[in-house]
Formats: sequence, structure tokens, C-alpha cells
Amino acid sequence: MLALQLAIAGVATGSIYALIALGIVLIYKCSGVVNFAQGAYAMLGAYITYFLLRLGLPSIVSVLVGMVLMALVGMVTERLILRRMLKAQIVSVMMVTLGLLIFLKAVCLAIWGPDQIAFPQIFPSGAIDFAGIFITYNYIAAFVLASALSIGFLLFYRFTSLGLMQRCAADNSRAALAIGIHVSNQVSIAWATSAALAGLGGTLLASLGGLSLGISDIGLIAFPVIVVGGLDSLAGALIAGFLLGILEAFTEGILTPNLEEFLRSVSNIQSVGALQQVIPYALLVLMLLLRPQGIFGRRGAERV
Amino acid sequence: MTMRSFFIGLALAIAVALIGYEANRFVAYLIYSVAISAIGALSLNLVIGFCGQITFAQGALVGVGAYAGGILGNAGWGGGLSLLGAGVFGALVSMLVGLPALRLRGLYFAISTLAAQFILSYLFKILVPLTNGVSGLVVKQLSLFGRPVGNDQEYAMICVTLLFLSWAFIGRVMQTNIGRAFLVVRESELVARGMGIDVSQTKLKAFLLSGFFAGLCGGLFAFTSRLANPEAFEIGLSVDQTAMIIVGGLGSLAGSVVGAAFVTLLPEAIQRLGELLPSADLISAFREMAFGILIVLFLLLEPRGLVALARRLGARREVASSSAVRSETGVVESGVAVSVQNRREL
Repeated sequence: MLALQLAIAGVATGSIYALIALGIVLIYKCSGVVNFAQGAYAMLGAYITYFLLRLGLPSIVSVLVGMVLMALVGMVTERLILRRMLKAQIVSVMMVTLGLLIFLKAVCLAIWGPDQIAFPQIFPSGAIDFAGIFITYNYIAAFVLASALSIGFLLFYRFTSLGLMQRCAADNSRAALAIGIHVSNQVSIAWATSAALAGLGGTLLASLGGLSLGISDIGLIAFPVIVVGGLDSLAGALIAGFLLGILEAFTEGILTPNLEEFLRSVSNIQSVGALQQVIPYALLVLMLLLRPQGIFGRRGAERV
Repeated sequence: MTMRSFFIGLALAIAVALIGYEANRFVAYLIYSVAISAIGALSLNLVIGFCGQITFAQGALVGVGAYAGGILGNAGWGGGLSLLGAGVFGALVSMLVGLPALRLRGLYFAISTLAAQFILSYLFKILVPLTNGVSGLVVKQLSLFGRPVGNDQEYAMICVTLLFLSWAFIGRVMQTNIGRAFLVVRESELVARGMGIDVSQTKLKAFLLSGFFAGLCGGLFAFTSRLANPEAFEIGLSVDQTAMIIVGGLGSLAGSVVGAAFVTLLPEAIQRLGELLPSADLISAFREMAFGILIVLFLLLEPRGLVALARRLGARREVASSSAVRSETGVVESGVAVSVQNRREL
């Protein structure tokens, strides 16, 4: 019974991880940039939605307007900063996104302060009774929205003409230029889309666990997801998101208590702390060493 | 490092050490903070700037040095031996962190060091018997030559001396075959292999050497602040140190020191300015905002750092004064200029 409970909680957070990871993979595929600021987009999106909700706008409108504003933020970052860094070294590009992360965090700190804020109820409160387990609507809504959007995005990427242009620009930018695709616009669109997805992810995360600057950490938590799924595979990010969400829930709910009991009996270590945050990274290292391209990535992505 | 830059550095170090010895506590504190960060920045520049391996585990390696130094010092070892021990532990852990570099490159390796950073800072928190967990390890006073180091002025002298020694040592290494091999590996592993350089071994050497100085930096940090707590060695420290070498100049020893001074002193300056603001949260927000903007602007406008900026300004003056001579023997002269420039970079 505990296992089922954990699996459900894991799937809900996992779907949000997938949403964030999807954005990072999209940007990486299209422009070769690893965006450390994705977590900051999630955080900013959550705060913007909170602001709109406090203005008294209905939930749906707030979430949608929040996503549109985040899309703008993503596009502006690409235009103003990343486009000027096309020829820069990898370390510079990574650092510029880290600088952006620091900056956006500081902006939110200045406006909304360092304390955790209770997020307004955006989904109806209550829970359903599923085979003896209570699942709150919050979790269901987060899961349904995040998965629907992720899958919807994958379908869009696969079957529409804009999606085709996106794939074309990501696959081979020169060839894309030659057949008349405006590649730099496509890159802008990719940044806008992934910032909007991250903004929604942040809002969902805030609706589950409250709003704080700590939401930006999800950008770093997402890295194991991306590596396990394959840095250039959107579907991989989705599946690995669910897998790691479940792994985290099981580590927290089952492994940690048992391990602590064992450690207390053999040593004087009392607690293993937040083991669930480290296990994914251990998995990441193993994955990089055994199969650097991830479960679903292509071999060429290895860069060795 | 040429003879000339060695003596310039020596003179500067002696001057700063003397100022530190005579100065009030606050100035002494600023001097040793900059010197400690600069040792860390030198070590990071060795790996990223010279050997081309991007790492985000620097903060954790400094932490390893801090804990190792603190534990050895508390166990009654002398100051010199404790600091040496901090360096050795830093070097060993750094080698472990660098191991994936034998299989991974660029971005993928960087992500693996990100994982190392998180795993190590997690270990700092849970290995309570060694590290005293989240509350932090209280470190005894540093004792040097059997005599406890009493005040911040003495710490300033010690740190500046060690900074100078580290700088001279790394500068010397960069002139040997090992140092040259780092540069070739950075430019192209294929070429390195073609020249008969053992790429794996070279990378590990870079990590070993860099880890030693990261550990030393951590040891000094522990002894000067008398506390090693896990919060100080999180990813934020890695970002700070990377910012230092980017602001100063990737692949430049002088740049590491200049960048460290800039990034360490800037928050202090902003703190002074920010005291006009109403709340402490706003001050720290303001400081972080300035730091973020600074990183972004530097990367956009002067990606090669303060040192490149200074060199360009210097070169412009030189060209103006010697343009008449150069017009006759321009080709040869510029060839010499290039080789001199290359030597200066080391």
C-alpha cells in the first residue's frame, strides 16, 4: 500500500521534472546551449502566476498569462544574451546562464522576499479515494496538466509544420537555412517554448509545496533526468522524468528509513539527510560512465 | 613565468604582506580573503583555463581541504603539516572527480562534476563523526612553528606568502613539459595524442595539481574562519570561483589573482553602497543582482577578462610609441611581439 502511495506521489513530481527537462533538452537540441537558468524560469513563472492570482484573476487566466509572459522572458534572453554568444566557449555559455540564474533569483528575492509563501489554491481542494489511498486533487491536476502538456508538445513537435521546422533547424542548421527556414527565429521559438513550459512547471510545483526561491533548484535536479533520458531525446526526458520521480519517492519513503535504522545499529550516524536528492546524481554518474548517450539518446551525442 | 614577472610578483607580495601586517583588522581580513580566493582561483584556472576541463566541483574540493585541514589541526598536527594534509586530500579527491574525464568530454564531463559537487556536499552533511554535520566543524587555532597564530594581520601575511608560492609554483609548472602538455590537451586531444602525449595521464596530473591548491585554499579558509560548515562549500562557491577566473581571464595566472580580488571585494563595496537600502534582504538581493549582471556583462563584452583588457590598453600605448620603428621591420617585429606575448601569458 505504501508502495502505491509513493508511486503516485513520485509520478506527480516526476511529471513536473519531465516538463522542466523537456525545456532544457529543447534548447540544447536547437542551440547547443545547456541552460542552467531553466530552474530560474520555473521560479519566475511561479512568482508571476502568484502575482496575477493575487490581482484577482481567475486561475486559468493567471496560469496562461504567466506562461505567455515567461515565453517573452525566454525570447528576450535568447535575443539579448545567447545570440551574441554563438562563437563563445562552452564554459562561457554555461557561466552566462548561471549568471542569469543568480540575477533572476536576486530579482525575485528583492520583490517577494526570502520567505516561503503559501500558494493560492488553483485547483479545487479535496481528494479522491483510490483503492484505499487518498490522492489530493492537487497531485492529480499537476500530473494531468504536466503530462498532457509534455505529450501535447511532443505531438506538436512531431506532426505540425512548425514542429518540423524546429526539428529541421535543430538537426542541421545549414541545411535548414538553405531550404529557407529562418533558423534564428526557430531558436527564439525554442527558448520561448521551453521558458513557458518551465513557468508552468514552477507554478505546479508551487501549488504542491508552496512558493519559495528554492523552486529554482529544480533546474539542477533536472540534470540527472536529462542525462538518463539522453541529452538530445525529448521522449527520453519525459520517460526519465517519471522514472526519477518514482525513484526519489521510493528512496524517501522506503530506502531512507531502513538505511537509517541500519546505520544507527552499526555506527553513530543518525540520519542520512536528503538521500533522495543525491541518488539521482549517483545514477547520473553511472549512466555517464556506462552509456553516456542516455537510454534514448543517439550515439553521436557523446562528443568523445 | 619569466624572471621579470617573478620579481614583480615577489615585490607585490612583499608589499601587500607588509601592508597586511601594519593594517587594521578589517583591511587584513580583506587581504587574506582575497589571497585565499586567489589560491582557489589559480587552482581552478589550471584545470579550466589551461587544461580545458570544465568542472563545477571546485567548491566541494575546497570543502574537502577545509575539513581535512580542520580535522588534522584539531588532532594536534602543526599548522604546516595540516595545510599540507589539506592539499593532499584535496588532490586525491580531485583525482577521483577527474576520473570521468578519461571517458567524457566538454559538456558531459562538466555535468559529471556537477554530480560530484552534489554528492560531496551531501557527504559533508551526513558524515557526522568526521564533519560534525550541518552545524559545522569548529577548528582550533592554526599554530605555526609551535606558536599559535594570534591575529588577522599574521593570517594576512601567511596567506599572501602562500599565494605567492602557489603562483610561482604553478607558473613554473606551466613552463615545463607537463604544463605545455596541458595546453595541447586543451587545444586538441587528437593533436596531443599525435605528439605522443598521454592524454589521460595529463588530465589526471592537472586534476591532482589543481586539487592540491584547492585543498590548500580550503585549509586556509577553515583556519581563518575557524569553522568548516557544509553550507560554505556548495555549488555557489564553485560558481563564485568560476566567475573569478572568467572576470580575470581564462588561462591567465595574473588574471586569477585579479579576478579573485575583484569578485571578493565587489560584494564588500556593494555592501557599503547598499547600506542606504532599508532591509538586509534588499542589500543581499542587490549584491546578488550586481554579481549576476557582472558575470553576464563580462562574458558578453570582455570574454577574455580583465587581463586581456589591460593588455589591449597596454598594447595600444606601445603601438603609438613605436609605430615609426615598426613600419620598417614590421613583419619581424610583430613575430617577436607574438612570441613575447605567448610567453607572458604563462
